[in-house]
Amino acid sequence: MKLERAATMLPAHGWQLLPLRFHRIDPGSLVLTNLVGEHVFVTPDELSTVVDGTCADQELLARLRAAHLIQVPGETLPAELLAIKLRTRMRRLQDSTGLHIFVVTLRCEHTCRYCQVSRQAAAKSEFDMTEEAARRALELAFRSPSPQLKIELQGGEPLLNFPLVRWIVAEASRMNKEYGKDLEFVIATNLALLDEEILDFCAKEQIHISTSLDGPQDLHNSNRRRPGRDSWQQAVAGIRRVQDRLGTDRVSALMTTTDASLSRAAEIIDTYAELGLRGVFLRPISPYGFALRRRGGANYDVDRWLEFYEAGLGQIVELNRQGVPMVEIYASIIAKKILTNADPCYVDLTSPAGIGIGALVYNYDGEIYASDEGRMLAEMGDRTFRLGNVHDSSYADVMLSDSLLNPLTESITLSAPMCTTCAFEPYCGADPVFHHATMGDFTGHKALSAFCRRNMGVFTLLLRKMRDDPYFCDLMRRWTQ
Amino acid sequence: MSPAGGALSAGTQATGTHAIGAAEISLVFDQATVDLDALQRSAYAVAAEMTVDIRISGADYVCTLFPRTQDTVDDELKHRFRAEVNDQILRARIAKETEPLRNLVFALAFSQTGLVEAEASE
Repeated sequence: MKLERAATMLPAHGWQLLPLRFHRIDPGSLVLTNLVGEHVFVTPDELSTVVDGTCADQELLARLRAAHLIQVPGETLPAELLAIKLRTRMRRLQDSTGLHIFVVTLRCEHTCRYCQVSRQAAAKSEFDMTEEAARRALELAFRSPSPQLKIELQGGEPLLNFPLVRWIVAEASRMNKEYGKDLEFVIATNLALLDEEILDFCAKEQIHISTSLDGPQDLHNSNRRRPGRDSWQQAVAGIRRVQDRLGTDRVSALMTTTDASLSRAAEIIDTYAELGLRGVFLRPISPYGFALRRRGGANYDVDRWLEFYEAGLGQIVELNRQGVPMVEIYASIIAKKILTNADPCYVDLTSPAGIGIGALVYNYDGEIYASDEGRMLAEMGDRTFRLGNVHDSSYADVMLSDSLLNPLTESITLSAPMCTTCAFEPYCGADPVFHHATMGDFTGHKALSAFCRRNMGVFTLLLRKMRDDPYFCDLMRRWTQ
Repeated sequence: MSPAGGALSAGTQATGTHAIGAAEISLVFDQATVDLDALQRSAYAVAAEMTVDIRISGADYVCTLFPRTQDTVDDELKHRFRAEVNDQILRARIAKETEPLRNLVFALAFSQTGLVEAEASE
C-alpha cells in the first residue's frame, strides 16, 4: 500500500493544468470546474499553489486529478475522457428539435394577470388552428431528425378546441407508423374544462397533463382569474381526477412566481405536497407582454426572486428529510448538469440556445416561432423570432432561416463575453429571446443581465449547499435519476 | 493603442461626466504587470456596480471608477475592481497555459462526429 501511495505522490511542478475555470462562491472558497463541469472546491490559497506548481497537499492534488483539472505531463487519458464527455454532452445537437408546441387556439376562459399572450374570448373560433394548418405543422415536425418527438398541445386553453386536439393525436399516431419515432403527447391545460370524455381520451392515448398551480387557493385565484373565481378549485379537482384515472405520474403542475408569491414559498410547496405532486418548478415570471403591466405580477427583482427560490428549496429539502419525496425541477435539471454528462435538454440552459433546435412553436394561424416567448413577442408586434408559416415554408426554410441562425450563432456561450471565462458555463446556456426583449440584442450584456444574475445565483446556492450539507448533496444525486 | 488621454474602452464616457466637484476614484496599474485585456474584461464584469474609464499615462494604466449608485464607499469600489483584475489575470494565465490541451480536447471531441470528414469531402 505504501508503494502505491508513493507512486501517486506528485512532486512540486509534477503536474500540468487542464483547462479549468473558477468562481468565488464565498470569500474563502472557490469552485473549480473543468470543460464538462466536473468540480472541486478549493480555497484561494490552494488555487494559487496549484497554479504555481507548489502545492504539497497530495489529497487535494488527487481530487483535482480525479476531476480532470490537472494531469501528469505526458498522460493522454484525461484529454480523451474529457473529449468523450464533451461529445456526450453535445450529442443532442445531432438530433435537433424534439419538442413541437401546437397552439391549437388562442381562446381562453381565464384572464390571468401575467398572461403574456393576447388571449381571445372563449367564443371566438376564428382564433382556432385549422386541421390543414395542423397537418402541415405535423409534416414539419416529423421532418426533425430527432428520434423522440414530444407534441405539446397548448393555447389559450387547448380543451376549448378539443376536436383538433383529438385530430392531431390521431394524425400524428398514424404518421408515426411510417416514421417510428418515440412519440409523446402533452396537453397544457388549466383543467377547468376537464370531463369524462377527455379523461377517457387521455387514458387511451397515454397523454400527459401539464397544468398550472400557483400555490394556495387565494394566491392562485388572485393570479389566475376566471368567471366564478374558482380556478384553484377547478385545477385541484382536475389534478385529483387525472391522478385517480391516469396515475399520479401523468399529471404535473407549473407555478409562476408573482410579487404576491414571494413571501409564501413554503405555503406553495405545501400545497403541492398535499396534492401528492412530486415536483415543483419554482419559475420566475417571464418579463414579456401583460406581465409587465403594473398589476401583471412582475414587480420584483432577481435578488428578491433568489430569496424566494432559496426559501422554497429549503422547504422542499425539509419535506424530503421528513420522508416526503419531492423534487425542485430547476435544481434537478442543474443537478444533472453538475453531476452527470447527460444533457437534460432544457431549452433555457443549453448552448447554443434551444430556440428552434430544441423546440418549435406552431401558432394557431400557421405562423412558426423559435420559442413560445418568441411567439409572445410577436403578439406584441415584434416578429424577430418568426421563422415562417406552415402553409408556405419548407423544413429547410425554417431551420436555415436567418431569424433562427443569427440568434443561435450569438447564443454560443463558449464565445460570449464573460461566459467564456465563467466557471458555470458548462451548466448554463443562453436565452437570446430574453436578451432581445430586455436588452435589445441577442447576446446581452452579461454583467447587467437578469438571466445571468439569476442563474449565477442559483448555481452558487446549489453548489454552496452541496459543499456544506451532505444530505443535500445526496438529494441532488438522487434528483439526477 | 491610443496615446495618453485617449479613452480606450470600458463602456463609459470620458472622465468628467461625474458630478462636478466629486473626487475621482482612480486606480493605477503598471503596464509591465497588468494586461489591458485583463482591465477591459474586469470593466465588463463589474458593469453592474460601476463603469470604468481606462487611460494610458506613461508606463501605467489609469482606471477611473464611476459608481452606479451614490451610496458606494470609494475603498470598497477600489477593492472590488482590484480583486476582479487579479481574478482576470489569473484566468488569463490559466487559459494561456491550458490552451493547447483545450484545443486537443475539442479536436478529439469533434473528430469522431463525422463532421470533419464531411467538411473535408465537400
